[in-house]
Amino acid sequence: MTGALPREVTTSRGPLRAAVTVDRLRKTLGKNEVLRGISFTAGKGEIFGLLGPNGAGKTTTLRMICTLLAPDAGAIDVLGFDTRQAAAEVRRRVGVVTAEIGVYPRLSAVENIVYFARLSEVPEGEVRKRVDSVLDRLDMASFARQRAESLSSGQKQKVAIARAIVHDPPVLMFDEPTSNLDVLASKEIRDFMVESKARGKCVIFSTHVLHDAERLCDRVTIIHKGEVVASGTPAEVRGERLDLEDAFLRLVS
Amino acid sequence: MTATWIVYRKEIVEILRDRRTLIAIGLSALATPIVLSIISQVSTRTAAQTYTVGYTGDVPAGLDILLSGVQLKLEPVADPAAAARQQVDLGVAFLPDEIDEYYDPARQSAEIADTRLQTVLGQYNAAKAAAALQAKGVDPGILTPLRVVPHPLSSPVQAAGNAFLSFFLPYILITMILTGGFSAALDSTAGERERRTLESLLMTPAPRSRVLLGKILAVTSISLVAALAAITSMFIALSQVSLGSGPNAVHISLNPVAVPVMVWVALLLAITFSSVTLALGTLARSFRQGQAYVTPLYFITIFPASIILFIPDFNPSLAYYLIPVLNAVLVLRDAILHNTIAWPTLIVTSVSLAALGGFSWLAALRLFTREGLLTRS
Repeated sequence: MTGALPREVTTSRGPLRAAVTVDRLRKTLGKNEVLRGISFTAGKGEIFGLLGPNGAGKTTTLRMICTLLAPDAGAIDVLGFDTRQAAAEVRRRVGVVTAEIGVYPRLSAVENIVYFARLSEVPEGEVRKRVDSVLDRLDMASFARQRAESLSSGQKQKVAIARAIVHDPPVLMFDEPTSNLDVLASKEIRDFMVESKARGKCVIFSTHVLHDAERLCDRVTIIHKGEVVASGTPAEVRGERLDLEDAFLRLVS
Repeated sequence: MTATWIVYRKEIVEILRDRRTLIAIGLSALATPIVLSIISQVSTRTAAQTYTVGYTGDVPAGLDILLSGVQLKLEPVADPAAAARQQVDLGVAFLPDEIDEYYDPARQSAEIADTRLQTVLGQYNAAKAAAALQAKGVDPGILTPLRVVPHPLSSPVQAAGNAFLSFFLPYILITMILTGGFSAALDSTAGERERRTLESLLMTPAPRSRVLLGKILAVTSISLVAALAAITSMFIALSQVSLGSGPNAVHISLNPVAVPVMVWVALLLAITFSSVTLALGTLARSFRQGQAYVTPLYFITIFPASIILFIPDFNPSLAYYLIPVLNAVLVLRDAILHNTIAWPTLIVTSVSLAALGGFSWLAALRLFTREGLLTRS
C-alpha cells in the first residue's frame, strides 16, 4: 500500500476518491525517453481523458498502470496498491480495452470471455453468471457461440470489452478503443464508458480523438513528448479557445 | 482451478481446432507406414533384382550356372571397361589365368553385382581347388584348417528386426515429438504476440510462470500424441511385414523392456523440446519468424539418430550419455537391442535431459517475463 499520494481529486462535480494516482513517472524504452515525470490522478466515478498525439506516451502510461511495464522512476497507486509491490492486486482491479482487438480466433466469443474470467480469478461457481451478465449487458447473445475468427471488428471489440470487465474491475482503461471501429460500434463503446462511470468505475480514456474527449471526459490531461502540458476539465484546458482541438494544437505545436 | 490448468485446457482446445497441427499429426501417422512400405519394397526388389555382367573371353565351365543362381546375367560386350560405365552393371574380362573386373563404385548396382560376383567366385575357386586336391588324393579339408561352426545366441532374424527398430524407433520418436509440437508451441507464443492476445493474457493476475507451465504441458501433450500416433502406425505397418521365411519367419516387435524405457525417454524429450521451442517461439515476433528459429532444431536433433545408422556398433562411454538427444537414442537402442535396462546410462540420460529441460524452462520464463516481450515490435 502507498501512503503519500493524494486520496482525493477535485472535479467540477465536487471531490472524488482517487482511484489511480500517477506520480512523477519516468520511463525510457531503448534509447527513447518516453515519459519524463508525468503526474495525474483519476477518480472513482469519472471519465478521465489521457490525451496526446501519437507517440506522446499514452499507451506506455496505461501499460505501466496495468503493471505490464515497470516505472524507471516515480510511482503508481491503484486503489491503494503500488504497481511495483502489489502487481497481482492491481491486475485484479484493472480492466483494459485496446485498439488492437486480439481475440483467440479458434475459441468462440463466450469461450474467450470464460477463459479470461477464470484467469482473473472469478470464482468457478460464478463464472457462468458473470459471463451471462456481460453478454447481456453488451448485447452479445446473437454471436456468443460463434468462433471469434468469424466475427466482425465491432463484435470482436465487444469480446475484448467483455473479457476486460468480466471480473468487474473498479478501474477501466480504454486505449484508443474506437480507432478501428465504424460509427455505430464507436457509439456503443462511448455509451459503455458513460454507463461504467455511472456505476462508479474509474474510466481512463486514452485518445487523440479530441471531439470524443470533450464530450465524454470529466477531466483531461494532455501529454506531449512524455510531459504533461495541460490538466483540468475540458473547459479549463480549452480556456479562451474555440474548442479542445484548437487548444490542443496550440499546446503541442 | 489453477492458472496452469486453465491455460492448459484452453491451449488443448485451440490445438485440437487447429488444422495445421491436426494435419501434421495425421500425415505423420500416415507417412510412417508409407515409408516402411517403400523401404520394404525397395529391399525386396534389390534382393531379387537381376544385374548384368558384360564380359569378353571364355566363361569358365559351370560358372555361368552359379552366376545365374545369384541373379547375375552374362552378356557379351566388346569392351568390358567401357560397358561397365553405363551399359552393364559390371564388366569382366575372362583371361586364361585371371579375371579382370571393371566396375564403377559410384553406382550402387555395381556394388551389389560385385558382392555377388565375389561370393560366387569364392565358391567356384574353393570347389575347383577341392576337386583338384581330391583328384590327387588329398583331403580337401586341408583348405579349411579351422572350421567355424556358428551358434547364434538369439534368433538372427529377430536380431535383424531389433537392429532395424533400434534405428527407426528413436528416429520416429524424436522426429515426431519435435515436429508434433512445433506448430502448437509457436502458436501459443509467437502466435499470441502476432494476434495481439499476449498483452491481455499478461494483464490477468495469473502468475506468468503458471501461464507458461500450462503452455509447456499442452505442447508436451500434443507432442506425445503425435509420437504415439506415428509409433502405433509404425507397429501396425510392421505387423504386416515378416522377416525370414518358413518356420523362422518373425514379425518385428518391441521387447517388453524397451516399452517403459521408450515411454520415459519420450516424456523427457517432449518436456525438453516443448521448453526449447516455447523459448524460441517467445523470441519470435511472428509465427513465420518462429518457424525460422525452430527449423534448425530439427537438423540438430536428428543428427544423433543418424549416428546409429552410420555407426551401428557405436559403443560409447558413459560420458556420451550426457549429450542430450544422443543419449536418448543410445538408451533406447540399448534397451531394444539387449532387452535390458542399463541403469547407470538411463540415470545419466535422465539427469542430462532434465537439466536441459530445466535450463530451457528458465530461459523461456525469463523471456516470457521481460518487458521486451511487449515493447519489441
